[in-house]
Amino acid sequence: MPKNTIKPIEKVCVIGAGVMGAGIAAQIANAGVEVLLLDIVPKDTPKDGNRNAIAEGAIQKLLKQNPAPLMTKRAAKRITTGNIDDDLKKAGQCDWVIEAVIERLDIKQNLYANLDKFRLKDTIVSSNTSTIPMDELIAKSKAPFKKKFMITHFFNPPRYMRLLELVTKNDTDPEAVERIRHFCDYRLGKTVVECNDTPGFIANRIGTYWLHCAVTEAIKQDIDVETADAVLSKPVGFPRTGVFGLMDMVGLDLMPHVLSSLSNALDKDDPFHALGDAPKLLEKMIEDGYTGRKGKGGFYRLTKDKTKQALNLNDGSYFDAKRPKVDAAKAGKKGMRDVLTHDSAAGKYAWTVISKTLSYAASLLPEIADTIVEVDDAMKLGYNWKYGPFEMLDKLGTEWFSEKLRAENRPLPPLLGIANGQPFYKNIKGVRHYLGGNGEYHPVPRPEGVLLLEDIKRTQKPLLRNKSASLWDIGDGITCLEFHSKMNSLNPLTMCLINKAVKYIPEHGYKGMVIYNEGAHFSVGANLALLYGAAKLHIWPFINWFLNYGQQSYNKLKYANFPVVGAPSGMALGGGCEVLLHCDGIEAHAETYMGLVEAGVGIIPGWGGCKELLERAQVKQNARIKPLKGWVAPNFVPGGPMAGVLEVFPKIAMAEVPKSAFEAQESLFLRKADRVVMNKDRLLFQAKERALLMAEGYTPPKPPVFRLAGQSGVAAIKLGVSDYVKKGVASEHDAYIGEVLAGVLCDGKRGDINHETTEQDILDYERAGLIKLAKTKKTKARVVHMLKKGKPLRN
Amino acid sequence: MSQTKSIVIAAYKRTPFTRAYKGDLSKVRSDDFGAQLIRGLVDQTKIDPETIEDLLVGNAFPEAEQGFNVARLMVFLAGLSNSTAGATVNRFCGSSMTTIHQAAGNIAMGAGEAYICAGIESMSHVPMTGFNPMPNPELMERMPQAYIGMGETAENLAKKYKIDRTAQDGFAVASHQKAAKAQDDGKFKDEIVAIKHGGKEIKEDGCIRGDSSLESLSTLDPAFDKNGTVTAGTSSPLTDGASAVLVCTEEYAKKNNLEPLARIRSIAVSGCLPEIMGIGPVNATKKALERAGLTVDDIDVFELNEAFAAQSLAVIEELKIPLEKLNLDGGAIALGHPLGASGGRITGKAAQLLKREKGKYALATMCIGGGQGIATVLEAL
Repeated sequence: MPKNTIKPIEKVCVIGAGVMGAGIAAQIANAGVEVLLLDIVPKDTPKDGNRNAIAEGAIQKLLKQNPAPLMTKRAAKRITTGNIDDDLKKAGQCDWVIEAVIERLDIKQNLYANLDKFRLKDTIVSSNTSTIPMDELIAKSKAPFKKKFMITHFFNPPRYMRLLELVTKNDTDPEAVERIRHFCDYRLGKTVVECNDTPGFIANRIGTYWLHCAVTEAIKQDIDVETADAVLSKPVGFPRTGVFGLMDMVGLDLMPHVLSSLSNALDKDDPFHALGDAPKLLEKMIEDGYTGRKGKGGFYRLTKDKTKQALNLNDGSYFDAKRPKVDAAKAGKKGMRDVLTHDSAAGKYAWTVISKTLSYAASLLPEIADTIVEVDDAMKLGYNWKYGPFEMLDKLGTEWFSEKLRAENRPLPPLLGIANGQPFYKNIKGVRHYLGGNGEYHPVPRPEGVLLLEDIKRTQKPLLRNKSASLWDIGDGITCLEFHSKMNSLNPLTMCLINKAVKYIPEHGYKGMVIYNEGAHFSVGANLALLYGAAKLHIWPFINWFLNYGQQSYNKLKYANFPVVGAPSGMALGGGCEVLLHCDGIEAHAETYMGLVEAGVGIIPGWGGCKELLERAQVKQNARIKPLKGWVAPNFVPGGPMAGVLEVFPKIAMAEVPKSAFEAQESLFLRKADRVVMNKDRLLFQAKERALLMAEGYTPPKPPVFRLAGQSGVAAIKLGVSDYVKKGVASEHDAYIGEVLAGVLCDGKRGDINHETTEQDILDYERAGLIKLAKTKKTKARVVHMLKKGKPLRN
Repeated sequence: MSQTKSIVIAAYKRTPFTRAYKGDLSKVRSDDFGAQLIRGLVDQTKIDPETIEDLLVGNAFPEAEQGFNVARLMVFLAGLSNSTAGATVNRFCGSSMTTIHQAAGNIAMGAGEAYICAGIESMSHVPMTGFNPMPNPELMERMPQAYIGMGETAENLAKKYKIDRTAQDGFAVASHQKAAKAQDDGKFKDEIVAIKHGGKEIKEDGCIRGDSSLESLSTLDPAFDKNGTVTAGTSSPLTDGASAVLVCTEEYAKKNNLEPLARIRSIAVSGCLPEIMGIGPVNATKKALERAGLTVDDIDVFELNEAFAAQSLAVIEELKIPLEKLNLDGGAIALGHPLGASGGRITGKAAQLLKREKGKYALATMCIGGGQGIATVLEAL
């Protein structure tokens, strides 16, 4: 269905203000959409009492929760509250009603019947159930209701988990399905995976099996939780927490519910039952309040003095965590197969759990989903696996895996028979294909408006490339600059590629550039180890050169004759933030965390970050206000020479990092014209569109001229900072960094309201200030601490 | 000191004092609430605006809405006569007491018969540093205490005079209790002019906490120095508000059927070390008393501006002020301290109390940032 004929969803109602319901409401509010959040009227509410207390309380919790479900505090204002006794009429008038009440069939059916009385004919209703089949949910509903009903299963926490499982039936209204799919994809940023109406759908079916298998096998094989987590985590592409750590995070009390509802719903011959019941130990732990991180602890706990302890699975006692060095886990550096074949108890354990889980997954098609692509997507986005089960099988080799099963006399899932030694995914003429149930390969579908570098890389070679960065042709005359060093840290090679790209693009008839990559984080900033090494050897001229090289490279992006559009996702810190600040436009994924965090390691931004923030705060705003001729002096700075500086100073001095792209928009890091993209998969496409749009008649920006307060401004900032030191909020070294930063931002050298400070002046001050700080002992200590511990040191 | 004319305080009014940022006046321009107050004073005293020589307006941060010589603009806003002039006066917290001194001096010179001496401050709208703090870097290097923060000066006095946390908390509680009682007894009714804004009337003070207690205050963290004793509870709160006093000759008052509150007997200002600016009232008071030929024992009513409890206690100790005569209706810790408006409030209040308590002499005095004190001695008519 063409996009423009899809009716938008403008108002949503969420019924059930528990953790999931409130979290879903928050994500809808994040998307800029009005939400009505309902729950029951609290028992024994007096006549004049607050009937919406539960929903209102849920919003208060949302505002306090960490990690934050809301992308900005302002988003909470889009959530209105009510209760299901008084407000079903309002609910029925919404475009979409999401039911997220307790998992009880009678309650849900009753609610649907009541809701149907008020439902407008186009109002879509969906359930967030994770256990009850759709057929049962709507068994008692009227036909028109059934047509507008589906299951939309969100994952916790709804803001951060990208998976949405969608269950529909043949007679579900296709227009309604398309509306929900479009809204969840574009506005809520979800990857919508279609599932069949089977117990646990895709992710929980396999995920629960996986976790349950890991627990029961650990007990059976006498593997301690630390060893289990060391091996069933990063080495095989499972979440860093490991399986037991993950269960602590999710909450142990959920496990028995999920296990019993799954085992009740599954066929008797489902291999799930062979895993056995939940261990007795788990029941006791939950009874005693050991429900995981939200309770007293779980498989791990922290003692009062913050010592980490692990659970002894045999007797339920705790012992101080030993952080064992597990050889089988280390073998993961060579490959996943080396972990599973490692001749040790841990290796054997890993093989058992993974082989069982992958076999189980492979046996579930076509029961749970139409293709392996849905299964892989669901496990990657719903359980944070790095590879889906079928991608893992490809990594291990389908032939190798099948051989091992045969050798152990275990049944071979039919799909592995169909693969018959061939991989599940194949690159055919540059297009990724998946193996279908018919034994043929089909192209992996990409929704319209999704452009991935991952796909482009299969068909082309980069236009330019070195060890740290590449330039790609992403079509229609637009190029993409990709960072690909470790953590996407920035070094002279990155700058070298930027310089080459800036020359290459116009010379070869390209029209614009997007800066984007598909790493977990856009960039963590300059390579700190490199700078520290040079500082240790006192090669200050090298540092000065490297800083200047970065400054000039970024300025080339800013003043190039073609538009440069930044498209960040994840962290964009320090130098990674500075490159974005030099872009002509930004399309930011909602989960972007931009900030100038240099002060955390005792320095100040040295690649134009000070200059760019100051330009945003002061010069640009001035340009919008036209001074009245003849009345206002020619050097008129609205708000005075300090207003902009005072806005910028705390952002850098306190290393402020907005916790979403929306927060960055409320701060100085994003400009009004910059846009937030909810769906990460659509980021590159939208950035490219923006670059194309800007390329029409593009003219580079004019360099700003600053009018600053000079030493008077420095004095003012010193005054303010000294109060913070007395209050105990800032350290002496913080104050010194502040003083150096103030000198840069105010032009401590020549600044005066009648003096024009240039961009280059500020860049020169940045370099001088950074080097001055780098020479201090306390800054060195901060850098060493960051390099060793990955956390800032307060000194 | 010889005075050729009897110069009196014939009327005293103020707006409600409300908490900055969240109080009822926080969204009202200070020139607006100030002008309404002045209009109220003129209406209630029924004086002929034509007879007012000058509108003097004290203000500690005369920029933004308080800039442009706001006093002259308030002449227009309040609908006074175009023939009345206007001047804005800044001596930080002493600003509006200075307007009274200037008016008295001018009248003594024969420059007119009646002055409106006002003070306005929106601490919500104009920050305490101004919008563009630009201290002189050379002075700051040579003498950083010239720009010292006020909280730190209170800490310095607490240390110098060994005033502990409990004494400060106790002083603050007493201030709140006195103010709350005065409020309950309707003792502010006469002085407060209600301010109209957005279809509503603002008529109640907003800072007073009658339920303030030693226990509740003892839980607060130090506000300025992590090792210090001065808290938000023992400091005057950031406040929005305005005050206005009619200063005129005794003759003028009679002509206009006004019953004067008090005669201005003597005035003084005095500098002190900026790092202990809170002690400023001591020397200013001594000078003023000497000029009046009086001693502390002669004074029946004391109005001492409570910038900080520690600062007030230091002054009380130095001057030996009897507590039962001090700030009878509460002080700035409870009522609030809209910088430029406070001097007018305590002088007007001292005059009003002198009459109410049927005393002979009253003293109003206050400390001033940068290291100054200012004092006014009043006598009953």
